[in-house]
Amino acid sequence: MSLMTLLPIWAAVFFTLAIYSFLYGENPWFRFAEHVYAGVSVGYAVAFNLDYLRDQWVNRWSMSGGMAVLYLFALAMGLLWYARFNKKYFFLYRWTLAIVVGTGIGMALRTVVFTQFLDQIIAQARIPLFVSGDPLQSVSNILLTIMTPCVLLYFWFTGGARETGPMKHIAKIARYTIMAGFGAAYGYTVLTRFSLLIGRSQFLLGNPPNPPEAKMAFITIALVMLASLIGYDLLKPKNI
Amino acid sequence: MSILEKLENVERRYIYLLAWVFVLFPLLFPLGLPIPIGRESKAWKEYIENIPSDSTIIVSMDYGVSGMPELYPMTVATMHHLWTDTASKNFKIVVIASWNQGPLVFDTLLDQMNPASTYGVVYGEDWIELGWIPGSETGMAALATDMWSQTPKDFLENRPLSEYPIMENIKTAEDIDLVVSFETGTPGLPEWLRQWNTPYGTPFIVGCIGVSVPGMAPYLASGQLDALMPGLTASGEYEILIGRPGLAVSGLDAVSMSHLLVVLLVVVGNIAFFASKSKGVN
Repeated sequence: MSLMTLLPIWAAVFFTLAIYSFLYGENPWFRFAEHVYAGVSVGYAVAFNLDYLRDQWVNRWSMSGGMAVLYLFALAMGLLWYARFNKKYFFLYRWTLAIVVGTGIGMALRTVVFTQFLDQIIAQARIPLFVSGDPLQSVSNILLTIMTPCVLLYFWFTGGARETGPMKHIAKIARYTIMAGFGAAYGYTVLTRFSLLIGRSQFLLGNPPNPPEAKMAFITIALVMLASLIGYDLLKPKNI
Repeated sequence: MSILEKLENVERRYIYLLAWVFVLFPLLFPLGLPIPIGRESKAWKEYIENIPSDSTIIVSMDYGVSGMPELYPMTVATMHHLWTDTASKNFKIVVIASWNQGPLVFDTLLDQMNPASTYGVVYGEDWIELGWIPGSETGMAALATDMWSQTPKDFLENRPLSEYPIMENIKTAEDIDLVVSFETGTPGLPEWLRQWNTPYGTPFIVGCIGVSVPGMAPYLASGQLDALMPGLTASGEYEILIGRPGLAVSGLDAVSMSHLLVVLLVVVGNIAFFASKSKGVN
């Protein structure tokens, strides 16, 4: 296998292990990989943006004088983002920010009420309490019908109002519901983190379709890195 | 220090080491644990199988390389399913990305799958890659109204869209019958729904990472989302359903073992906590 094929594989293994070396503790390998990762990500994004700007200019906006003016105006507004780095011209950055935020909010607001508010309420109202032949779904639907309004009421009534009358019981159900929601979110988060570890482990072990050469690189780099980490740990001054 | 106190103060490095052992062991020595098929993966398969003939489908790569371990296997499996059916159902597939690393991920997929020789699909006739659509939600809205302006050239061959027969009848969101999005975050489903599903009624199916599932579930329940592929486990089930075991299936033993470890740690941690608490009270 050629050096040009092996080099990216060894580099990928090195950076994977360098990032994971943080689990052992803060160390130079991790810091190096962290900086390279941040730099490459930003560089990639900048290159892609410039490429897109060029394509738009060549294929669309340079076709007529009027469009060229609009393109240059948009470009100038975009450059004003960088005014935030200068105290004197900081206010110019706000113009661009206002356009971006205003456009974004305007775009979202035209449908957000339907998409994330009315449709959700309609769906909640349409849930059948009992589903024939599916007792689990029936239980789920009944719980959903009770718990959703409870959580809404919990945030509706605040302070002492939550502790009086029926709200006392509703608030308790709401708290359990919220905790169940957090639990589900946490469980899925753990699942995702392990999935990431599994994906990288498959790469390190060279499981197909990953390149098999990664396995040798993994063993070699892991041993060298581990030895250097232990050495670094032993040699660094204890008061730091 | 008692055993209970030791359990409550285990050095975190040992826990990480244990996690690696629980993940690496089944990858090196597969255990062949049973894989029950969940309803999400079944629904996903059925939905793709029932896509009407002559449909035009957008596949949106809304994730970067950091999302690959969880989303890449389901992307490969879904593209396999779609490209396999392309000849018989005359699908037109348009690949885009609202994340700038999306095209990079799709390049990896193309290297691995080689659609022209494997599935006999023709670039520019059966499918096309338009590349990254910048601008997040505003970019999606602009794409919906005028695709040709947003991406005057394709991504793979860098030629004008007018040179590709597939793009002849694809101009706006109204020409699209389905959007399949694989995503890790923002921009993602809410933006797609706001700019495509609500105004144009475009059907949606989404493959997402586990973290996003609780946020996606209400859209599935409300019918705004037609199918949801939640994470690596469902990907593995889907690979089995379509008879193409891949990376996800080979990782499922590790998924089971890692979950077992988490459950064990939670149980042990709780036992130690409550035992030492009651001891302190006594």
